[in-house]
Amino acid sequence: GTMRAAVRIGWRIGAAAALRGRAVRPLSQAAGESGGSESGGGSGSREAVERLVREHPVVVFMKGSPAQPLCGFSNAVVQILRLHGVEDYRAHDVLQDPDLRQGIKDYSNWPTIPQVYLNGEFVGGCDILLQMHQNGDLVEELKKLGIRSALLDAEKDQEKK
Amino acid sequence: AAGGAMGGPMARTIHAKLTAALQPTHLEVRNDSSRHGGPPGAETHFGVLVVSGCFAGLPLLQRHRLVHEALRAELAGPLHALQVIARTPQQWQSDPQAPPAPPCLGGSKR
Repeated sequence: GTMRAAVRIGWRIGAAAALRGRAVRPLSQAAGESGGSESGGGSGSREAVERLVREHPVVVFMKGSPAQPLCGFSNAVVQILRLHGVEDYRAHDVLQDPDLRQGIKDYSNWPTIPQVYLNGEFVGGCDILLQMHQNGDLVEELKKLGIRSALLDAEKDQEKK
Repeated sequence: AAGGAMGGPMARTIHAKLTAALQPTHLEVRNDSSRHGGPPGAETHFGVLVVSGCFAGLPLLQRHRLVHEALRAELAGPLHALQVIARTPQQWQSDPQAPPAPPCLGGSKR
């Protein structure tokens, strides 16, 4: 049926997006990465994370950076935001900060990276952002933040393409 | 498919735990580990398609949290990534106006 096809397309896109990531680190390397600071609270504390998620209307915790995502799922988030013309946002590379990497998971009670926050509120990871993009919810959520999605302009001004 | 029809131990665990927790009317468990550089037999990255009445009335975030909760131990351990599609039986059976796939995610321009 069409529903199944649509779901499978979405699923495959997610899987294909996972392939887009550049220089995916071997898991053993990622697990053994240093940085190992002994600091207790610090960058992963609830207070520190709270400050980060409220820093900007759109905040992303990811692996790598928007210029160079290091994971296909993080790359998918960057690409979706780019489709909507959202280039001005805060992105935090959790691979640079093990305390933040754990702290953000504790804060949202969400086990994986990437994590997307809109107006300080956790909205989900790559899957959810993709579904929000596909069903139009992302355009609406961006509008609530005073951000006009580029997709609205793309529909209006076809000659710009 | 690698690991045989039912997959390896993690695949079977995911299947069993999601079945017990959510009584899905439809459940698919996909091992993506090889697509993330894992060796044959690796069970670190999975995708699940869960159709369950438990999701009725819940927004996406809450649906995904239910799935994560069922797999809390695995996600705290060797399960590194989990893609989730969570639908109610009604959504699964109906034919929604799903928009086409965004082009940029389907191919690299760089």
